[in-house]
Amino acid sequence: MIENFKISLKEIDKINLINQEDKNYRIENLEFFNKKGFPTKKEEDWKFSDLREIFSKNFKKIDINDAYPEENNFRLIQEFDHNYILLINGRLIRSDFKFEDKNKIKITGYKEENFLREKSNNPLICLNNALSNEGYNLVVEKDYKFEKVLVIYNLFNEDLSEKILNNKNKIIVNKNSELHTIEYTINRSKNKFFNNTYENVILYENAKFKNICIQAGRSEGYFHKFLNGSIKSDSKYSSFIFSSGLKFNKQDIQIDLEGKNSDCEIKSALFLNKEDHQEIKTIVNHLVPNCKSFQKIKSVLDSNAKGVYQGKIFVKDIAQKTNAYQLSKALLISENSEFDSKPELEIYADDVKCSHGSTSGNVDENSVHYLMTRGLTKKEATQLLINGFLKEIISEIKSDTIKKFVENKLEFQVYGY
Amino acid sequence: MKNSNINTNQEYKYGFTTDIENVRAPKGLNENSIKFISKMKKEPKWMLDWRLKAFNRLKNLKEPNWQKPKYPKINYQDLYYYSAPKSASNKPKSLDEVDPKLIETYKKLGIPLQEQKRLSGVAVDAVFDSVSVATTYKEELTKKGIIFCSISEAIREHPELVKKYLGSVIPLTDHYFATLNSAVFTDGSFVYIPPKVKCPMELSTYFRINASETGQFERTLIIADKGSYVSYLEGCTAPMRDENQLHAANVELVALDDAEIKYSTVQNWYPGDKDGIGGIYNFVTKRGACRGRNSKISWTQVETGSAITWKYPSCILQGDNSVGEFYSIAITNNHQKADTGTKMIHLGKNTKSKIISKGISAGQADNTYRGLVDIGKKALNSRNYTQCDSLLMGNKCGAHTVPYIKNKNSTSTVEHEATTSKINDEQLYYCNQRGLNQEEAVSLIVNGFCKEVLQQLPMEFAVEAQKLVGISLEGSVG
Amino acid sequence: MLEIINLKASINKRDILNGLNLKINPGEVHAIMGPNGSGKSTLANILSGKNGYKITGDLKYKGENLKDIPVEQRAQKGIFLAFQYPLEIPGVNTNNFLKTSLNTIRKAKGEKEIDTLAFLKLVKEKAKELGIDEKILSRQLNVGFSGGEKKKNEILQMKILDPNLVILDETDSGLDIDALKTIADGVNSSRSKDKSFLVITHYQRLLDYIKPDFVHVLSSGKIIKSGSRELALELEKKGYKKIN
Repeated sequence: MIENFKISLKEIDKINLINQEDKNYRIENLEFFNKKGFPTKKEEDWKFSDLREIFSKNFKKIDINDAYPEENNFRLIQEFDHNYILLINGRLIRSDFKFEDKNKIKITGYKEENFLREKSNNPLICLNNALSNEGYNLVVEKDYKFEKVLVIYNLFNEDLSEKILNNKNKIIVNKNSELHTIEYTINRSKNKFFNNTYENVILYENAKFKNICIQAGRSEGYFHKFLNGSIKSDSKYSSFIFSSGLKFNKQDIQIDLEGKNSDCEIKSALFLNKEDHQEIKTIVNHLVPNCKSFQKIKSVLDSNAKGVYQGKIFVKDIAQKTNAYQLSKALLISENSEFDSKPELEIYADDVKCSHGSTSGNVDENSVHYLMTRGLTKKEATQLLINGFLKEIISEIKSDTIKKFVENKLEFQVYGY
Repeated sequence: MKNSNINTNQEYKYGFTTDIENVRAPKGLNENSIKFISKMKKEPKWMLDWRLKAFNRLKNLKEPNWQKPKYPKINYQDLYYYSAPKSASNKPKSLDEVDPKLIETYKKLGIPLQEQKRLSGVAVDAVFDSVSVATTYKEELTKKGIIFCSISEAIREHPELVKKYLGSVIPLTDHYFATLNSAVFTDGSFVYIPPKVKCPMELSTYFRINASETGQFERTLIIADKGSYVSYLEGCTAPMRDENQLHAANVELVALDDAEIKYSTVQNWYPGDKDGIGGIYNFVTKRGACRGRNSKISWTQVETGSAITWKYPSCILQGDNSVGEFYSIAITNNHQKADTGTKMIHLGKNTKSKIISKGISAGQADNTYRGLVDIGKKALNSRNYTQCDSLLMGNKCGAHTVPYIKNKNSTSTVEHEATTSKINDEQLYYCNQRGLNQEEAVSLIVNGFCKEVLQQLPMEFAVEAQKLVGISLEGSVG
Repeated sequence: MLEIINLKASINKRDILNGLNLKINPGEVHAIMGPNGSGKSTLANILSGKNGYKITGDLKYKGENLKDIPVEQRAQKGIFLAFQYPLEIPGVNTNNFLKTSLNTIRKAKGEKEIDTLAFLKLVKEKAKELGIDEKILSRQLNVGFSGGEKKKNEILQMKILDPNLVILDETDSGLDIDALKTIADGVNSSRSKDKSFLVITHYQRLLDYIKPDFVHVLSSGKIIKSGSRELALELEKKGYKKIN
């Protein structure tokens, strides 16, 4: 039996509380977490990623982080114009919306009252409910389209050894508005830490929100993020995930298509190397008629890496004319790599178009052979093919400068292997 | 004019009961009822010990609860674990000696034993309420060295084979229902095909559930020795009744080097009435081990009956170059629930598996495909192809696809595809315009949807299965 | 054979037919020509009994009112529609489909069902007459058939089912000249005094091969002009607009 981590109730006292009610809610959640512990593979949602095992192998103890030092050597991305907000260890440090009408944007740090006190059976959400103390709230007022992309610099500093960071973020895009963000994570910690984020996205009527998730480099961090999106009619949610190079990363995404003609896209290209263990888990709930969802996850696995995709499409009985699609493709290029998937459909309406596909296997031998007859080494040929395999996702980014930026990041990893 | 009685029978074609006095074990699940079964079967001590070991294990096991269909709690102490037609205690020497009522039952089912010998060339080990009553074609099979008998007989006559293979694929400790079966199984078939023998005919068993409150615990063991081949058919019908009946069979297949086993099932047990009252709980454990090199096991199933079906005929691909196949049609109508699929465990090199699943859901039914493809680290150059298609009729039913895919091998390829669709109105119109009524058109289109699976069935079965597909969906399109 | 009186039809509140009158006697071949969107296919669908239209007016077939008679019963009574776009039905064997179809029609007529052997003989014979490769009959119904094969298959079905009223809905569209001739031969060889044809087409070309007794011009849901075969030639020269 793997022993479970228990987190002392005293940790809650480190958080500046507003009132006793908040404290009770946090205690309740922490007690639930301590009872259940980190999830194991016995739990359906964690079937392929036994977090308890991973934790007991890598952590001796874990404490709440309370250090938020000033940043040094922090440099903005030079490749393209952008607005930004800077988070250090989850805390909102500053923001700059110089390309935008500032009356249309509200940005604040973590606020207790911004989140409903919801009960959850998910131990990691409970852990977050108990200990979250940092994060940001971003509101785009109605009828406003962002001129430039907003980069969310998510910086983790050097001394986060055996720390746990719980953040809560909220993004609201109001009616007829448009927001495009890049979540750019920079890891400076040489030591292990755990970042547990809860994010809430609400898109009101005819709103658009596009997010790209990418890392600056490799990291010793262990990441878990639960994202809940509530999508109203005629709005569109789109997410690109390029989170390569993380020790452990699980993105648990739940999108509720609540309004007619709403649309959700989740696309990902991952290059996993060394001991990386990454999971993307999605549930797209089609709750009303005429909605569309599209998911395409591409992974390349090298060394001892493990990739997991658990994707579920749920179609409610009234959600006729649903169009839902899901595809996962994985290339295993090392004999010690592993890819597990569970593409799931749960359908209760008959007039729908729902399908999924999942493949995993090696790089096509014939293609490698072809390239080798043109003088490339086996390694060069493989690199060329996996780069092309992942580029298909990147090519769907509209802005050329951002596309180039993402491409460079990914190529750096692929050619470094 | 038809009277109402006949009409009721039409809804479920095989809904009738036969009055035969039963010899029953005392009610309840305990050591005494297990000893009673063993005694009635004239089993050797090792067999009783094996059963008791399973029973002790069972005490520490819990019923699984992860499957989608939920069912009311079963009171295991309120079931009879053994019942045999009385006439079986002095076994008939020939078919003429068989209880005429039994013969009549089989006639209603469309399997007149008398004629079968002469006409079909199919050897039948007919199970009527847990006990084998008549076995035909034994002599012809014996000439080839093939053993085809009831498992009870095999325990007495071929203990070395039974000891070696029983529980070798489904261990005693496997899961609740499998272990329950190991403790209390009453009868079933035993097949042994000697090396290099191709079984000259399809071997077949018809199951029937009859006595009330009798859980059915069949046990089947099929061994295909090196280089042999056998095709086995299992078909089931059950009489009309109101109470839910538990059926927890275990089927174990073992294929040695270069051997092939083809196992086909048509399951048409009582599904309960239109309001979901009654019906069979079909909780079956079927597993095959491709133990030898180049061995092959192929499962084909047409599941149209039962209130709840919960089964995953699986293949453990141990031998290098071994092949596992799973072809399935699951039809659920009214309040039926099915959670079915397969497990393909790739352990050997160059192993291949193929899964074709067709789920059809109508009425308020729920149909789940649940499957596992697991490519192990040593399973170099292995392949899997999976295709799951669901057809929904109306928006009160559900279709669920839950594949688990694990690939730990970079030289292996796994492909999975799934679709969900409905019967296209234009297709129905086209069929109507050619004179077919709605039900004929639906039956035709659904049979087309299932074609890849139906093709796998042996001829005799395919015809029956096609009819069944149509009958099962009657009244589902308004 | 068929009498249509003041037929009006709409779908989703859009009027398509606006008072159409037509009478077809046994043995006659009528052609209906009209531009796209004039209601040609709607007429074919309504005669076959397709659901979804709001209809007023009278449809009489062999003196019987067709109202409330479902699609399959109309087919059983001898109305055959050769589809403009024959449907693909995966997994369903063409021969098997045809045999099922023929037997339901025979049963409805009170005739004995045909057995497989006799059926196959019949199919072989008819396929040969039409010059159709019978191999396509052992394939899945219309799946992967070329446009020409699909249309030929429709005519073969017509031959085998032996209906009384045949409606050809733009059977000529998208066909090369050889396929067109095959189809026309099939129709011509079926003409008899107790069989009527309603040929719906956009182009005059088909009428060079199937010579109609009457030609009607359909426009905005009404027959605006009727005449002999020469009317078709006139249409070809002047176009639909001029006739209007």
